[in-house]
Amino acid sequence: MTASLMLEVDGLVKQFGGVQAVLDLSFHVREGEILGVIGPNGSGKTTTFNLITGVYRPDRGRVRFAGHDITGLPPYEVCARGICRTFQIAKPFRELTVLRNVIMGTLLRHPDPAAAEARGHEILQTVGLEGRARMVAGSLTTIDQRRLEVARALGTGPRLLLLDETMAGLNPTETEEAIRLIASLRNQGLTVVVVEHVMRAIMSLSDRIVVLDQGTKIAEGQPKEISSDPRVIQAYLGVEYRRA
Amino acid sequence: MSPRTYVPAGFLVFLLVLPHLLPNPFYVHIAVMMAVFAVLGGTWNIIGGYGGQLSLGHAAFFGTGAYVSTLLVNAYGISPWITLWLGGLAALLLSVPVGIICFRLQGPYFAIASIGLAEALRLLVLHFRDITNGAQGLTVPFKGNAPWLLQFDSKFPYYYLALVMAVGVVLIVRRMERSRLGHYLVAIGQNQDAAEALGINSSRAKAKALALSAFLTGVAGVFYAQYTYVIHPDSVFGLGLSIQIALVAIVGGVGTVLGPVLGAVIMEFFIQFTQIAFAGQYPGLELMVYGGLLVAVILWRPRGVIPWFARLYEGLVARLPAARGAQA
Repeated sequence: MTASLMLEVDGLVKQFGGVQAVLDLSFHVREGEILGVIGPNGSGKTTTFNLITGVYRPDRGRVRFAGHDITGLPPYEVCARGICRTFQIAKPFRELTVLRNVIMGTLLRHPDPAAAEARGHEILQTVGLEGRARMVAGSLTTIDQRRLEVARALGTGPRLLLLDETMAGLNPTETEEAIRLIASLRNQGLTVVVVEHVMRAIMSLSDRIVVLDQGTKIAEGQPKEISSDPRVIQAYLGVEYRRA
Repeated sequence: MSPRTYVPAGFLVFLLVLPHLLPNPFYVHIAVMMAVFAVLGGTWNIIGGYGGQLSLGHAAFFGTGAYVSTLLVNAYGISPWITLWLGGLAALLLSVPVGIICFRLQGPYFAIASIGLAEALRLLVLHFRDITNGAQGLTVPFKGNAPWLLQFDSKFPYYYLALVMAVGVVLIVRRMERSRLGHYLVAIGQNQDAAEALGINSSRAKAKALALSAFLTGVAGVFYAQYTYVIHPDSVFGLGLSIQIALVAIVGGVGTVLGPVLGAVIMEFFIQFTQIAFAGQYPGLELMVYGGLLVAVILWRPRGVIPWFARLYEGLVARLPAARGAQA
């Protein structure tokens, strides 16, 4: 059983000044699954990503990836081990072309720039950005910047992909596309953790969902269980969702 | 033969015969200084342009090269052809702790730390008079025409040596630009957090870049000491020199292979000729020219003059006919 655990988060605590951002948080991600993480603003979702990927060092608690303790490793090391994340606010290399942005990711596993470029083209095809390869990243629309964010992360050849609100602000068609893309990534063998506010997306994508509130886990289970859990409805979904 | 071949080839021939076309040694001196600053701007560009780490303390490496070499030459009589490399090596060694300490800082903080480094070295050299001769500086013993001691009675050999160094730096930077390190530096310069999230060890990439930059800057420092025969703490460790090195790259175009070369030619041209024109009548006037050039570049050519120059070049190449020889 332990062998199939891709990520184990155990008792994470992170405090900023007097604010408890994450408070004794534990959850796990199984190999090959899509785990949804939801929760109101400020519930600690992004902080959790930052703790896993080494942007912050937890005050307490451990993070284990594929059986190895990775707590407190720097971000580049975490990425090299096989966890890559996207940022909620896209951080493209604005002055560089879309292709060059992706190459920055693919160089990790393909040290030869020519090989990295070839791999970059493949990945742009996967996310549907091939037509914009020569454009400057700063001139992309918000949606395409999100695509690029995912493309760069994919370029690093991760085993575990952490997506931070990739779908915020997308229209229904684009959301459908994004859902299809994420599902196809899982089918290629990736394990995915999705932080998302778009309920329809997270309910249809996730195998399991973890619900955060005020830095701690208040519920965990399959989408159906979550959407009918009274604590979740009160903390997050609102009364309206009960009718759906 | 296409214009893309014969124009650069012609330019190279021009550079090779240039000193023979110049009316007097002073003009050759200007050409030498242009080449030296092309070297310095190019090496600064590795960390300052590609890596986006604004160093205002590159004189630290230049001065280290110049002083280490001259001290070794004077104390042990080692040939400058050897101390050329030892000076570079000393600058490289200096860059290691500097990288570890200063690269914890980003943006303006790194710039300030780099100024502090060069100033600290300048003051140390002033202080330890017994070894460094303090403010009086060091002199390379004059041996007349002694090629084995990197001394020549004509400026021509210095010019060719500086030209070799400048071309060498251009080739090294071009190679670096296309390597994984070159890509990584650009990523770090654009957004360090995003780069780290993509598995890029920014500290290591910057340390490598600084080491390469420091080594080449140190070598240039040795050359300068041999060329001018005399070095002072102010002339080789001074803030003015550090700023001049950075400006050469900024005016020419940061993060480009040929930008610093162009910047060096333009800056030296303006500075030397302001000095000639006003012949010490208004001391410090060349500094105003400096400032003026910098303001002009930032206002009208924020990417440096290189994109504008590249357009001119492309226009020229497109208009020129192919040379007959190739058709045959």
